[in-house]
Amino acid sequence: MARGSARRSSLPFGLVLPAIVALGLALGYPLVRQVVLSLQEFGLAQQFGQAPEWIGLGNYRDLLGNGELWPVVARTVAFCLVNAGLTFGIGLGLALLMTRMSKVVRILTQCGLLLAWAMPVVAAMTVWQFLFDTEYGVVNWLLTALGGDFEGHSWLIDPWSFFLVATLVVVWMSVPFVAFTLYAALTQVPEDVVEAAQIDGASARQRFVHVVLPSIRSVLLVVVLLQVIWDLRVFTQIYTLQKAGGISKDTNLLGTYIYTLGIKGGDFGMAAAAAMFMLVLTIVLTAPYVRMMLKQEED
Amino acid sequence: MRIKKTLAVAATTALLAATAACGSENDGDSKGDGPAKADLVVWLNGTDTPQPARDWLKKTFEEQNPGSTLTIEQQEWEGLVERLTTALTSADQTPDVVEVGNTQAPTFTTVGAFSDLSDDLDDLGGDDLLPGFVDGATVDGKTFAVPYYAGSTYVFYRKDLFEQAGITAVPTSMEEFVTAATTLKQKSGKADFSGYWLPGKDWRDGAALLWDAGGDFAAPDGDGWKGTLSTPESLAGLTAFQDLYDAASGAPADANESDPVTPFCAGKIGMMSRPGWVYGMLTDPKSGCPKLAEKVGVFALPGSDDGPAPVLLGGSDIAISAKSPNQALSRKVLDLMLSEDYQTILAEAGLTPAKESLATKLGDDQFAKATVEAASNAKLTPAAAAWATVEGKFVLEDLYSEIAQGGDVKKLAAEADDKITAELN
Repeated sequence: MARGSARRSSLPFGLVLPAIVALGLALGYPLVRQVVLSLQEFGLAQQFGQAPEWIGLGNYRDLLGNGELWPVVARTVAFCLVNAGLTFGIGLGLALLMTRMSKVVRILTQCGLLLAWAMPVVAAMTVWQFLFDTEYGVVNWLLTALGGDFEGHSWLIDPWSFFLVATLVVVWMSVPFVAFTLYAALTQVPEDVVEAAQIDGASARQRFVHVVLPSIRSVLLVVVLLQVIWDLRVFTQIYTLQKAGGISKDTNLLGTYIYTLGIKGGDFGMAAAAAMFMLVLTIVLTAPYVRMMLKQEED
Repeated sequence: MRIKKTLAVAATTALLAATAACGSENDGDSKGDGPAKADLVVWLNGTDTPQPARDWLKKTFEEQNPGSTLTIEQQEWEGLVERLTTALTSADQTPDVVEVGNTQAPTFTTVGAFSDLSDDLDDLGGDDLLPGFVDGATVDGKTFAVPYYAGSTYVFYRKDLFEQAGITAVPTSMEEFVTAATTLKQKSGKADFSGYWLPGKDWRDGAALLWDAGGDFAAPDGDGWKGTLSTPESLAGLTAFQDLYDAASGAPADANESDPVTPFCAGKIGMMSRPGWVYGMLTDPKSGCPKLAEKVGVFALPGSDDGPAPVLLGGSDIAISAKSPNQALSRKVLDLMLSEDYQTILAEAGLTPAKESLATKLGDDQFAKATVEAASNAKLTPAAAAWATVEGKFVLEDLYSEIAQGGDVKKLAAEADDKITAELN
């Protein structure tokens, strides 16, 4: 009775235990701590050892009452969707292009993409800041040389153009991952199936929509899911740009807003409450993809 | 999610701090003075402290305490409050001695982040220490930080440009000053030239205009504090900032004052308010422009009443991190940093020494005179415990920048008042 003895053996549990412990420590503990914090009045004094006071849902009430949260949430969601969409579109386009390139051109393209991806964020941000500097930036110089009136133009002062620059940077940094992953997926599409469809009279568009896309569907889902999560919690790019110029309160996304509440403002309880919002938002935005992925696995 | 990471770090550091605290007690060190030998870390901010002073401190400390080392880690002023907030909570990560802006000190002294120096105060200088700074770092009769240096900004001006513009004497009233700044700008005819360099986020120099008009950022209100930017006097001061920015500044409305050297050396500045040590950066052959620096004269910003304008009393405190395991050695570092030798090096670089008796070390050149005059009417930011979070959250940077962009002063002031009131209580 091999089945019965396997059920009684503790070996499988022993094998799973380290993973569960690691997950519990790495994910569970901070999450519990975050929930606890969000229910406490926890400021700088508590950080240095005073006992925190339990205030129930006080932090959440303050957060919803101060009128700052909803504009930040709306901005975050819009920024996330626009960036994830653009990244995905450009990435897919590049991936398709790469399947058609000659080997030399493709390797050159891949090197370029890889460099953009491998660049440390802060180093890249320094360069982007230089490019868009109000007084000495090459972008202003170039646009002025081309006949525009961009001398001393501040790119970060207006929230819309602030987010234009931020989008440029974020998309630039995330496209390589999408392009590489989708390119890898595209090379796995069985050629004979595509050829068969062609012989049956399917147009290029039909082949792409009905043959290629379905066969890379699982990869597409993962890429979109990751992209949405990454763009939702974008922090470094916004934080660095805020230091370079612009009005902080009009350009905060959830990540920088939470940081402002907690680390800059010394109110960790409020920050934890705001972080709970971010958690909920992430779950809400990614739920459809996760459900699709789960369904696909069942199939 | 970043915040989860941050919280995880905070949680881990708290844990580490707890275990480390236990550890030091187990060493049998009842006073918690720490070991006789250790590697100390001192945080100094920006380039304010001149290199010779750093070298002297390291050398002297290591000679006097064989087996111990001292490392100076330079921190940026920008974002300092955030960095201290995270670093000071962990016995593992904390620097032993930190420099903190005098207006930022109360945020940390009121929460127990620094060691109590009350018993050592007399040894460190006692009544000789700059009184405003000691008061600012004293909570319920206990002193947690001591002055490091003081310094208010004064006006640097280009003598050659004054001559070209036909300005024969340095301004002696706020009105004359504004006229001079406007004239310089008009004569240049360039949009990016500053008759008076006033980046939009430079609220620290903007504060002088606010105070000169009789306004202030906040005032005590019952048990708490209240933003007072909407009083008629404050509104007049903020409007003066807007007018001066419009008429005389070529700096971007969303830039801060951290880099005056680049625009100055590019010949884009007629006058600017900067602390004295900036002169050292201008004369530096590598990063500055010694030729142009020769044409610099200085004077204290004049006020609307007779005498100098109330400029921000700038400067730094030094303190020992309460979580540092090396309390006794850190005390020795403090002693050295307040010693006559060390403070003299600071004074020679244009920083006002932490002890009143050493003020003569500034010398008597034009820089020393401007320093002393500017300091004579200098003012502090509101003495509220939470003031540093107003600074940390960029409430004033946002306010001044939006005013510089031509925003509605009355509306912006009212918004900022709400934020300041919420932050301080």
